[in-house]
Amino acid sequence: MNTSLVNDTSRSSVVDGHGGRPLSVSGALVRRTLLRVRRMPAAFVPSIVMPVFQLIAFSGAFGAAVRLAGVKNAMDWYVPLNAVQGASFGAMGVSFGLINDMQTGFFDRLLMAPTKRWALIVGPMAGSIARAALPVALVIVIGFLGGMNVPGGPLAIFYVAVAATGIALVASAFALGLTYRMRNMGAATLTQFAIFFTIFLSTSQVPLSNMAGWLHAVARVNPMTNVLRLARQGLLGDITWNDTWGGLLAIAVMLFVSCWFALSGLKSLEK
Amino acid sequence: MTSAPIIAHGLVRHFGSGDNTVRAVDGVDLQVNQGEIFGFLGPNGAGKSTTVRVLTTLLKPSAGSATVAGFDVATQADQVRRSIGVALQDAAIDPLMTGRELLDLQSVLYGIPKTRARERGEELLERVGLTAAADRRVGTYSGGMRRRLDLALSLVHEPSVLFLDEPTTGLDPMSRLTLWEEVRRLNREGTTVLLTTQYLEEADQLADRIAIIDHGKIVREGVPRDLKSAVGAPTLLIDVDSTHAESARSVLARFGDLRPTSEGTLGVGLAQGAEAVASVIRSLDEAGVHVRHLELNEPSLDDVFAEATGYRLEGAETKSDAPAAGARRGPR
Repeated sequence: MNTSLVNDTSRSSVVDGHGGRPLSVSGALVRRTLLRVRRMPAAFVPSIVMPVFQLIAFSGAFGAAVRLAGVKNAMDWYVPLNAVQGASFGAMGVSFGLINDMQTGFFDRLLMAPTKRWALIVGPMAGSIARAALPVALVIVIGFLGGMNVPGGPLAIFYVAVAATGIALVASAFALGLTYRMRNMGAATLTQFAIFFTIFLSTSQVPLSNMAGWLHAVARVNPMTNVLRLARQGLLGDITWNDTWGGLLAIAVMLFVSCWFALSGLKSLEK
Repeated sequence: MTSAPIIAHGLVRHFGSGDNTVRAVDGVDLQVNQGEIFGFLGPNGAGKSTTVRVLTTLLKPSAGSATVAGFDVATQADQVRRSIGVALQDAAIDPLMTGRELLDLQSVLYGIPKTRARERGEELLERVGLTAAADRRVGTYSGGMRRRLDLALSLVHEPSVLFLDEPTTGLDPMSRLTLWEEVRRLNREGTTVLLTTQYLEEADQLADRIAIIDHGKIVREGVPRDLKSAVGAPTLLIDVDSTHAESARSVLARFGDLRPTSEGTLGVGLAQGAEAVASVIRSLDEAGVHVRHLELNEPSLDDVFAEATGYRLEGAETKSDAPAAGARRGPR
């Protein structure tokens, strides 16, 4: 065909002058994440299987311990934990995906797009929520099948979802920040390491009142303790503002810090 | 203000610090004019790709300045990105996506409205001959198809300046020719092209002007023909009957220095250039010398490269090391 498909500097362009709209770009990156999951399901299976396996294993192995602490059903304690943990697994996928894009050069294509830098961060973060939806839902369903109590009603499930979503966002932003800086597979490993430590050095396994020594001191100041309190409150009793605000604040602060970490990491790539 | 689409002044880009500092780009001055195909020639590790990465806003310059499409690459990166199309060294495409999906994504990245993006995608797929393969995953494409898709992606937003970083590396001769033709067509339509290559023939065939870069510095710049002329006169080789060899030699000597050749062939460096060939033939005819075979050998870009750097590029691309390794340096 003979039509001219290019412009010189004096001609108008198909680009409207604003470049890629950030939310559209983020949306397109989420769609790409889901498309990749659909076309390479094997890479997604572990992030579904692991939280379910851990829920069954933890509730079976440590159920007696949490029941001693006054929890009626081990599922009440472990469903929120494994929902949050399952959501955090998405961060590994974010890190691996980014490394792959860096190695293939696809990430350069994104970097050269005339759009706001935050759109390139929000896209994978939102993608991690989409990835987390299935494992978190599965954990909750298995919780119900295992006799999970929900004295807080539907709001209890809502707060489990809020906590899981918050941690998915925080973990993926942290993973992005680390991967932008390290630019190799080590970033994914370190992300997993950091998430594991943060979760296990909180009230993940036993209530704060049953902890002693340094573990108690660390768990008390660990923001993850507040997030788990937020997620568990409606399964262990009534929902109170007292058990809510600390978790929301912890998520907000961690999100702010991790997003700053990601954005500064992204900018460091161009330096 | 000059209207040249690409201008660089004293461009420097280094990596690392202290004793480990590597100056990948070391004071590059460059001007690419409107509507030109500019070839950036050099071996692996010479600084071609780093220069392109700075000009395309992927890296910030360590020193110096550059404008692309009239915008400063350091302070007006977004405007630069809107004006340029880039196909980097490795076709940067997701093998799990289809060609059409990638074109859609690229349109979103550049803010092209959906309906226009569809039309544009179809135009480009047709242009690069990928309409039939548009809904196949890119992972199933051949190297040539991937390169063509990469080129189509770089054209989605109708850029005024196109950067092609070693666009034909690893391609078979047929795919290479197809891509060359496409680059020429784009250029005819008004796109300014900066093309990096380590292939002498590619630079010779495509570029209006070339710059030779070595160790991060531009060592020669100009029109290929002028650069080659500057290296020396073209050599005219003729085969004549042995009985006419002496007369032929005396005729040829009038047009330049006689040059050593293989047995049975006479050679002369044409001081007046290729334009003198007609006069040589006339003179030989007048002297009664029957010419059996005639061949004009222009100095090659490799001669230019060798003259500028002290080593030859021809065949160097097959070696993995950068020229800094020294192994490729040698007597001309």
